[in-house]
Amino acid sequence: MSPPALLLTSLSLGLMVLAAGAYALLYGIGRLKNSRALLIAAACAYGLLALDAAVLVQAAPLGQAWKLLIAASALAYLRIPPLTWWYLQRTHRDEGAHT
Amino acid sequence: MSRSKALAVKYLAAAVLFFGVMTLAGLLSATYYINPDFLFGYLHFSTAKILHIDTMIIWLLMGFMGAVYWFLPDEFGCEPAGIAAAEILFWVFVAAVLVVAAIFLFVQWGPAIESTLWLFQQGRKYVEAPRWAAIGIAAVMLVFAWNVIGTALKAHRITGLMAVMSVNMVPLVLLYLIALPKIDNMAVDLYWWWWLVHLWVEATWEILISCIMALTIMRLLGTSRRIVEGWLYIEISLVLGTGILGLGHHYFWIGTPDYWLGIGGFFSALEPLPLLGMVVHAVYDAGVHRMRTTNRPAFYWTLAEAFGNFLGGGVFGFMITLPQLNLFAHGTQWTVSHGHFAFWGAYACGVLSVCYIALQEQRRLATVDGPGWIWAFVLLNGGLVGMVGSLLIAGMAQAFFERAIGGSTLDAFIAGQENPWFRLGIYSRFGFGLMFAAGYLTLAWNLLAVGRQQSAAVARAVPAE
Amino acid sequence: MQIDDPAFWRAGAISTTVVMSAVLVMLTIDSLAAISPGGSHVPPYTVINVHIGYAYDGKLGRDMPVLGADEPLFGKPVTEAEAAALIERGKLVIQSRACMDCHTFMGNGAYYAPDLTKAWLDPAWDAWTAITGAQTKDDAMARFLMAPDQYATWQRKMPNLGISWQEAQATVAYLKWLSAIDTNGFPIHFGRIKVSQ
Repeated sequence: MSPPALLLTSLSLGLMVLAAGAYALLYGIGRLKNSRALLIAAACAYGLLALDAAVLVQAAPLGQAWKLLIAASALAYLRIPPLTWWYLQRTHRDEGAHT
Repeated sequence: MSRSKALAVKYLAAAVLFFGVMTLAGLLSATYYINPDFLFGYLHFSTAKILHIDTMIIWLLMGFMGAVYWFLPDEFGCEPAGIAAAEILFWVFVAAVLVVAAIFLFVQWGPAIESTLWLFQQGRKYVEAPRWAAIGIAAVMLVFAWNVIGTALKAHRITGLMAVMSVNMVPLVLLYLIALPKIDNMAVDLYWWWWLVHLWVEATWEILISCIMALTIMRLLGTSRRIVEGWLYIEISLVLGTGILGLGHHYFWIGTPDYWLGIGGFFSALEPLPLLGMVVHAVYDAGVHRMRTTNRPAFYWTLAEAFGNFLGGGVFGFMITLPQLNLFAHGTQWTVSHGHFAFWGAYACGVLSVCYIALQEQRRLATVDGPGWIWAFVLLNGGLVGMVGSLLIAGMAQAFFERAIGGSTLDAFIAGQENPWFRLGIYSRFGFGLMFAAGYLTLAWNLLAVGRQQSAAVARAVPAE
Repeated sequence: MQIDDPAFWRAGAISTTVVMSAVLVMLTIDSLAAISPGGSHVPPYTVINVHIGYAYDGKLGRDMPVLGADEPLFGKPVTEAEAAALIERGKLVIQSRACMDCHTFMGNGAYYAPDLTKAWLDPAWDAWTAITGAQTKDDAMARFLMAPDQYATWQRKMPNLGISWQEAQATVAYLKWLSAIDTNGFPIHFGRIKVSQ
């Protein structure tokens, strides 16, 4: 791959996971505070992740299998925060008063 | 206080002390990048680096041991089996580390014969300590393993957490034996060496710190054992499910077959997934307790652990893990950037959390708070993030100019090292290193001083019998 | 429900660990065969008797070591046993001097000094042969190792580590053998790009 492509691709991959972290953080705080604004912000963070993943799949100098992995990861990142939250609430339901 | 808890405090204190040595050696290492003639002929980069990375392993290992010795009596309801041996071995361990440090500083190297490896220097990264010391460390760890497993046998009962810890002890100790042999073939040497390094820091150490964090959360937030155990098993599945074959990301370029490019790249690309789950879990725990706790530093260092692990291991790792990118980034300051962030987030923050938990109980403090820990927290985390950001810039410049453009020859290496972006990263790293060092001093002072006035006042207020 | 029971997840943790570990063991058995001297990726130690190059392989899509005509080290071809002895001593030098704490080998080590994977093939040795007053590249490398502080490559000097002539020869042999390992194309483009200073 070309030198600029090296930097752009790696930064995009890092951004993808960073956006996943932002999504998870905003989603969690949004659920805690029952805040529509924060949940919308979480959706925007995921939107950034999805856009980043789409650009990678479209333009990155990587083989098909790797692009499939990136796309599948993007979907997994979407499901992890709500699934984790659901499981946390379920397991903590006997612990006392919670959100 | 139980003997195990008293030993725990010694181990945690030694851990913090060696954390300081690591920081000093890190500053020294960074100095050579700016002034390569510094102490030339007397003390060289290699010695500073050895001290830096080896004390990192030592302080974290001692921190884990301190954490385990702290929680053991509460988990089993009795003193650990073999506690007397453990108490003696603590002093042997510390003395051995000091002797090895002195050998690295004053002897440094020896002729190319087996006795050099036995007495002075083994020269394999992280496990440079001479063979006599490596055998000593293995013995310390064997007794440590017995302290856990033997206590379960003695008590005729075991919690899920302790069962996980006991089972984990076996690979933890066995893998360390890879520090002992001399292997002529560099490809085979590195193959096994990576079993030790990766299956420690991305497998058995992850399990160990997860157990420690589970015990911490139970203490800090009152979470039930059933919940933390369920989460622990989920985490083990995900971390080992991705991390065992994620070992393959170290097998891209060491002469191993090219199927490792696919296997290693695939599994290590999945490694951030459980770390994201940990972030969600941390937010949940922080939120449902409305950030209220009697031990704010312990709580915040636990949060830092979850976020630091994700950022350092997950984000920074994902940038360089695919083989097409790793081909350029491998063995550059980019790796250093990821390594510093990941070790800090995954392990250091957790150990510091335990330090505060232990001292709350030891000093009988109703609450642990104050400005001191906040300053330490900000300086250490700010310094660390600054350092890794600086190294990211230097590393990207190196991958770009030395590897992608330059073709990786000696001339390309020099051109990369002299590149203005690289130099910027190096100077910036040093500056943030000073900030980190200031944070360390603040931390050490805070750990020594926090709550002592409070404890003394409480002691004075208790009416005489 | 099953997912509420930690025992369910414990079973998952155990089975995941066992399966992944089993796969790792199987791959290790295969990989060890490939990386033993004479295996598919690692040449026998007697490769130090021949010319070693590095060229792009169109079929594989990456750089590969290329073995050529006879080119003994220090003017003397070695037997299998002599080559093994040189490699053993060379590795002892590398460990006893902690080379890995300044340099990297196949990208592993410290990043203060250059990567040594293809050091044997570095174009800089053409100039250094003259600078060290040597007749051949292997001679130049050995002279450098014995007195690196006298032959500073740039502002970061390599310190004198008391390397003897015998140890230097063994180290050169080691570096020559190392350069012939198939590292799946690392480092990329080595030596095929000229850097203008």
